[in-house]
Amino acid sequence: MERFLGDLKPGERACVEQIEGGGALRRRMMDMGIVPGVELEVVRRAPWGGPLQVRLKGYYLAMRRGECAKIKVSEIYQEQIEHPLASR
Amino acid sequence: MKIALMGNPNVGKSTVFNALTGSNQQVGNWAGKTVERKSGLIQRANQEIELVDLPGTYSLTAYSQEEIITREYILREKPDVIMAMVDASNIERNLYLVLQILELAPRVVIGLNMMDLAQTAGITIQTAELALALKVPVVEIVAAKGKGIEEFLTEAIRVGTLKQDPLPGEVSYPEELEQRIQAMEDLLVDTPWATKYPLRWLALKRLERDPEIGQEWKTIPTKSRKSTDKDSCCDPGDAINYELQKTTVLPGEALLQAYEAEGWSKDHFEMAFADAKYKYISQILPKFRAHENPSKPTWTDLLDRWVLSPIWGYPIMFAVLAVVFWGSFVASAPIGGAVSQGMAWAANVVVRLLQWGRVPDFVQSLVRDGIFAGVGAVLAFVPQIAIFFAFFSFMQDSGYLARAAFLGDRFMQLMGLHGKSFFSLVSGFGCNVPGIMATRTLEDPKDRLITMLINPLIPCVPRLGVMSAVVAAFFPGSRGSVVMLSLLLLSMILVMFSALFFRRVVKQTERSAFVMELPLYHIPTLRNVLLPTWQKTYSFLRRAWTFILVASIVVWALSSYPQGVPMNATWAGKMGGWLSFIGGPLGFDWRIMVAIVFGFTAKETTLSTLGILYGVAADASQSIAQAMTGAMTPLRAYTFLVVYMLYIPCLASVVTTYKESGSLGWTSFGVAYNLILSFIMGWLVFHGGLALGFQ
Ligand SMILES: Nc1nc2c(ncn2[C@@H]2O[C@H](COP(=O)(O)OP(=O)(O)O)[C@@H](O)[C@H]2O)c(=O)[nH]1
Repeated sequence: MERFLGDLKPGERACVEQIEGGGALRRRMMDMGIVPGVELEVVRRAPWGGPLQVRLKGYYLAMRRGECAKIKVSEIYQEQIEHPLASR
Repeated sequence: MKIALMGNPNVGKSTVFNALTGSNQQVGNWAGKTVERKSGLIQRANQEIELVDLPGTYSLTAYSQEEIITREYILREKPDVIMAMVDASNIERNLYLVLQILELAPRVVIGLNMMDLAQTAGITIQTAELALALKVPVVEIVAAKGKGIEEFLTEAIRVGTLKQDPLPGEVSYPEELEQRIQAMEDLLVDTPWATKYPLRWLALKRLERDPEIGQEWKTIPTKSRKSTDKDSCCDPGDAINYELQKTTVLPGEALLQAYEAEGWSKDHFEMAFADAKYKYISQILPKFRAHENPSKPTWTDLLDRWVLSPIWGYPIMFAVLAVVFWGSFVASAPIGGAVSQGMAWAANVVVRLLQWGRVPDFVQSLVRDGIFAGVGAVLAFVPQIAIFFAFFSFMQDSGYLARAAFLGDRFMQLMGLHGKSFFSLVSGFGCNVPGIMATRTLEDPKDRLITMLINPLIPCVPRLGVMSAVVAAFFPGSRGSVVMLSLLLLSMILVMFSALFFRRVVKQTERSAFVMELPLYHIPTLRNVLLPTWQKTYSFLRRAWTFILVASIVVWALSSYPQGVPMNATWAGKMGGWLSFIGGPLGFDWRIMVAIVFGFTAKETTLSTLGILYGVAADASQSIAQAMTGAMTPLRAYTFLVVYMLYIPCLASVVTTYKESGSLGWTSFGVAYNLILSFIMGWLVFHGGLALGFQ
């Protein structure tokens, strides 16, 4: 089953698999450290559909749910598959 | 020697910059941009060093203003050394920028800041190993305590005086990328560009089809700064302008097309390069960093449990904002009062001198009622603005501002705005001038412009004061609070509507992503709070004083000529009469129109203008408002309140919008929009009220 960052509950962790969409959004996420393979934890969600607080590598990001819905994630304990670079 | 300071936002760059340059700073804007430019001159070892504080960025691509500025500065001005600041408690992401810097400029020194924070978080970093891995000197610093800053600079100077460029470490790209990079390098190595830029960087950018390379720019110094401007602080001028001379297409087009056919488009290259850099960092990381007990909650975790909690977050934010408002706009009242009194006293002294010198009466009146009264009214707000800025700097440096943006984002989303607009809009309730200036935290220029343009629709404290006096006179008892609430609600709705409307006018097609860092909490240093406060207040005064002076004189002249006639026969009075074709449909008589015209300079004077017009001698706002009840029906008063609340707040806010947006067009647009909106709303309210049978 496909899961996205936006589906995670507070306290859940996952691994970034792929960022859907492109352009400025993807670029911005990469600059902020969200790249395939990185481990994320959803710390909390702001009420009434507000943004999510995400922890990665010891720092925190705030992201809107719409943006979180574009980040495909996978279970952490699964063995990491090396994707060929060009397929991303 | 030219040295540039670089780093991610919040790494402590300003702390280092302020410590090194002290008060010897020049603050302005980057040419053609609305991003602050800070530079300072320092003397070390018989050398004059120009230190430039580049804007904080996460990367060196050209996607935000800050990134473009940073990159252009390095490419075109070629600083001798780059002082790259790195947050030791967050080294993994910080090194991403460092790797990009290393590809662009060979002379780099790393300043490893926040060593104290890293230590408490259980992070140990072997500085020597880090230096070895990247082949770059590394200096440990604790900027907030002033430790290591001087050593950092000394090291930078040493690197700057080296005879030969050092060879920093290179990212090892995966084989399939490396081959392609090298193929491109082979094509470029004999071109003249390879002498200007590092070859590897050139090849990477060519593969990404970056438009900047291949462009030749000429720098045009606009003026010699030192000679024309003795004022070392807060220079508003643009230092340098660039002119595009020619654009050449670099070789390699055929190769690029061949790669594209293989599925390697420029986006793929971009992604792959970024990915490879992160991978490289995680490869070398274990060599120099150890993190014991990473799951142990930090201070930030513990604080965020409360500050960002769904239940407690909002009450806490409310309390914080209450303290900020109380501190800046209530507690500062005596200082503002003292400024007014001081101005009045100074006016008296000057007028007495003039009398002694037998200067004509009209000059005396100009000085007392025009210049001192007008300028004094604005000066009385300066303490408020200054105290507000101090709070603002504190909240920004401590990390709370980002939390407020996190909590407020949901509401801003309704208006199509960014969470960071929230604080600017909330500040508008205090005073629109700092509210407009607070939009600086927004990265996207269009979001920023929209936030700036809707800010005046939010009633500030002085306007609320006048409004509540009028409301109390016309709608006594509990009806008053209902009326006041309805007005505030109206302003909220219009703010929202206007934000959505402006989004269409400004033509913002690609929405900026809301991916914002929530920095770890820091305790701001006193200098970091006071220095920007002083700079912002001073630059506000410097920008605004001429406008305010001229406006005060104009208003004075309009209202006192022809001499010795009643107010309705003065030029201003006549102007009110001419304008009654606008006011008539709204049920306003000439007096209200005059008061509205006069309100342009500073709206809080409206009541006293009305007092004069209605012939009330007393200065107290209650008696003035009471006098109005005899001349107006409640419906007309309500219409007046609506128009009063919505048209431009004051001249200072217009000047600020102009300076912050850098665009006369958008400023005029904003003013026109406010005026038209306020009168349309007034008309709707008046005629709607009449139709419903109100009086
Ligand atoms: N604990 C700690 N805090 C620091 C250090 N250096 C700077 N800070 C704080 O970090 C915050 C951000 O610093 P600032 O200089 O404004 O960062 P900038 O955004 O890079 O200019 C401020 O509150 C500083 O007081 C440090 O070495 N240790």
